[in-house]
Amino acid sequence: MAGGLFSDYDLGGFYDEAIGTNGAPRPGQEPVVDWFDALTPDDLRYHGDLRDDVLRSRGITFTVYGEAQGIERTWPMDLFPRIIRADEWDVLERGLAQRVDAVNRFLEDLYVGDQAILNDGVVPRWLVMSSSGFEREAFNISVPNGARCLVSGVDVVRGADGRFLVLEDNLRNPSGVSYVLENRATMARVLTGAFDRMGIRSVDHYGRSLLSALKHAAPPAAGDDPVVCVLTPGVFNSAYFEHAFLARQMGVELVEGRDLVVDDHVVAMRTTGGLRRVDVIYRRIDDHFLDPVVFESGSSLGVPGLMAAVRAGTVTVANAVGNGVADDKAVYPYVPAMIRYYLGEEALIDNATTYVLWDDDERNAAFDRMDELVWKPVAESGGYGILIGPQASDAELAAMRDTVEADPRGWIAQEVVALSRVPSCVDGGLEGRHVDLRTFVLTGESIEVIPGGLTRVAMRKGSLIVNSSQGGGSKDTWVLSEDPPDPAAAEPAGGTI
Amino acid sequence: MRLDICYRALYAYDSWVAESQNEVRAAPVTDGRQHLVAYRLSVAPSSRAVAFTDYWGTRVDAFGVREPHLSLEIVAEAAVETGEAFLLPAPTDFDALAEPVFAATHGEYLARTPHADWGDGLAAAAADARADDIVATVVGVHDLVRERMAYEPGSTYIGIEVEKVLAEGHGVCQDFAHLAVAMCRSLGVPARYVSGYLFTTSDFTGEDVDGDIVNVQTHAWFEAAVPWYGWMAMDPTNGREVGPRHVKIGHGRDYDDVPPIRGAVSGSSVALVETDVEIRRMDPSQQAAVVQPPLTQPIGEPAPIEAQQQQQQ
Repeated sequence: MAGGLFSDYDLGGFYDEAIGTNGAPRPGQEPVVDWFDALTPDDLRYHGDLRDDVLRSRGITFTVYGEAQGIERTWPMDLFPRIIRADEWDVLERGLAQRVDAVNRFLEDLYVGDQAILNDGVVPRWLVMSSSGFEREAFNISVPNGARCLVSGVDVVRGADGRFLVLEDNLRNPSGVSYVLENRATMARVLTGAFDRMGIRSVDHYGRSLLSALKHAAPPAAGDDPVVCVLTPGVFNSAYFEHAFLARQMGVELVEGRDLVVDDHVVAMRTTGGLRRVDVIYRRIDDHFLDPVVFESGSSLGVPGLMAAVRAGTVTVANAVGNGVADDKAVYPYVPAMIRYYLGEEALIDNATTYVLWDDDERNAAFDRMDELVWKPVAESGGYGILIGPQASDAELAAMRDTVEADPRGWIAQEVVALSRVPSCVDGGLEGRHVDLRTFVLTGESIEVIPGGLTRVAMRKGSLIVNSSQGGGSKDTWVLSEDPPDPAAAEPAGGTI
Repeated sequence: MRLDICYRALYAYDSWVAESQNEVRAAPVTDGRQHLVAYRLSVAPSSRAVAFTDYWGTRVDAFGVREPHLSLEIVAEAAVETGEAFLLPAPTDFDALAEPVFAATHGEYLARTPHADWGDGLAAAAADARADDIVATVVGVHDLVRERMAYEPGSTYIGIEVEKVLAEGHGVCQDFAHLAVAMCRSLGVPARYVSGYLFTTSDFTGEDVDGDIVNVQTHAWFEAAVPWYGWMAMDPTNGREVGPRHVKIGHGRDYDDVPPIRGAVSGSSVALVETDVEIRRMDPSQQAAVVQPPLTQPIGEPAPIEAQQQQQQ
């Protein structure tokens, strides 16, 4: 790699996913590292401009709330892909499927089961009952096949030793999958044919897989060809692009609440040809806006009478109502116990080390090292309300301590994970930047994990914040369909054949 | 006692309503003290209701009307057999509240909720009711609410804060019940709000009925949890034990978990709502049953003059 773009590449003491500690590419990474290494800074800038043209012409945007000048921005995608080896993915895939399986069973147990896991004291009853995500309005509503987390977004990271850890689960309305598909399509246009022989697993089938999972969740009375629609809060939602994208991918209608009516406990959508019965609603609006009869009475986003129709069993709403209790961050520490309880297995992917602050001992221990931990509110998502101890001022830490003391159930503390890094394009060169990975898991006829997922990257030097609203970017994520032979293992032993 | 109940709500709109979707919680529950014999819900314009049991064990009838209408009438008819009041539980130590299974299963009845979100004023007032054991404390809360509150229909509204209710010192049965619930919780005793019907000529005195028929409104009271006993029901509005003339619909953390009707209407019509509960005693032979003295009036002592005057309002 002498003289190439990697010649001055600095690992910075972190686990780098492309380059090993010896400075050589890790197994499986060689074709990409070599290709980028051979580029000149001008080549890299040229490809960057090309990428911007492609993204703009495809109209791929994301939305930032609270900004005066237009809320739509072009999607930031870094050209250097993140590559996951087949053997690494195998463990990740099984671990994610295992996790979602257990969480689905947990939600079934809570809402339509005997609450056995609570009665057996594996998860504290009070913890569930005090969760803002435990939705009593969803009690006794059954979900076909128990597919409560029809789409799950599980966030995983790799720490200093390269091991994957689950950082959090998103089981209500995880978003980002449209960017997985768009990143891939954009890469194909920019790096035309350069990596055709690498054997990268496809993600293009996501729309078909999602549609098939949704249809599988239809009420039995829906027949062989259930009607599916995507329910969006509207164009002002930050994920509207994705809602429209998914409806298009699946070839189904994109509707708002006012497009749906409930007639005699059956849901229908207004179409140019009159009312048409709907069997499955992939809703991208929060529980509390679904039905003004039951939830926010002032909300016009939802569909009056929808919850009664769901209870009557004429329509399925996905994801199911009430999933928030399982992605409550104070419940998350119990997921490994759920896996043990329901599946009789050990978790294949560990949680990040987490302290539950309602426990006096754990809270006091965490208070002793406030500036070393990450502090998170239990019910938020998208990075809101998080305080990163090592970067916080004394005043911020003191305020956090007061906040936690007032509501210990409402917060968790986690060890800082030294996020792994991947080479990223910066000013015509390559520098390591920290990444995480939002994976997407579908519960259909079986549990299916989309190969790869959305790699988010903190483009600011040294930053651990990967959220796109705060200067984060993304990377196409390649899962190898087959690992290259390990050169060490392939060396003939003793020189004979 | 056998009671036939007819709950009726009439919504009259000032312009055409294209659609309305509703949930009704008006059916008496079957529990240890009462038995629902028959129940029927009818709606005009006509609509098919689906019934289910909610998280709290209350029967819910959900229906929608999707034809233009200027009025909506909901009629719920029930026949119910009620039993005598339960004996009060034996004195129980506060320590028992910490017993793990009890604590785990009653935690949700200790939290602040929108209608029972107390502050320092209420907690300080409730502290006066704190006795050595739970049962005496709950009776004390009941007495305290009745002592501090005057019954004045129309003086409050749904959604008023309990602190404000206490400070102003008047309200209706919902306010009395929420106040008692909040006071119990502030003392660490799990408590819940009960929605129901009361066969009486006056919610405030709770006195028995001369004939066999009354026209009233829905009523509310509260229940407090006592370890090894269950739920102890008291009616602070009229200071009587919950007995054969009380018919329970259901319970919840507060009013929001058991409203008689909740719904959504399309458009911006303003509705005039008229509700009425007709209760008919079907076994008049029991009319002259033992009259229970109000709990707030110690036997053998005359009630304070103010209290006597209040009762005649």
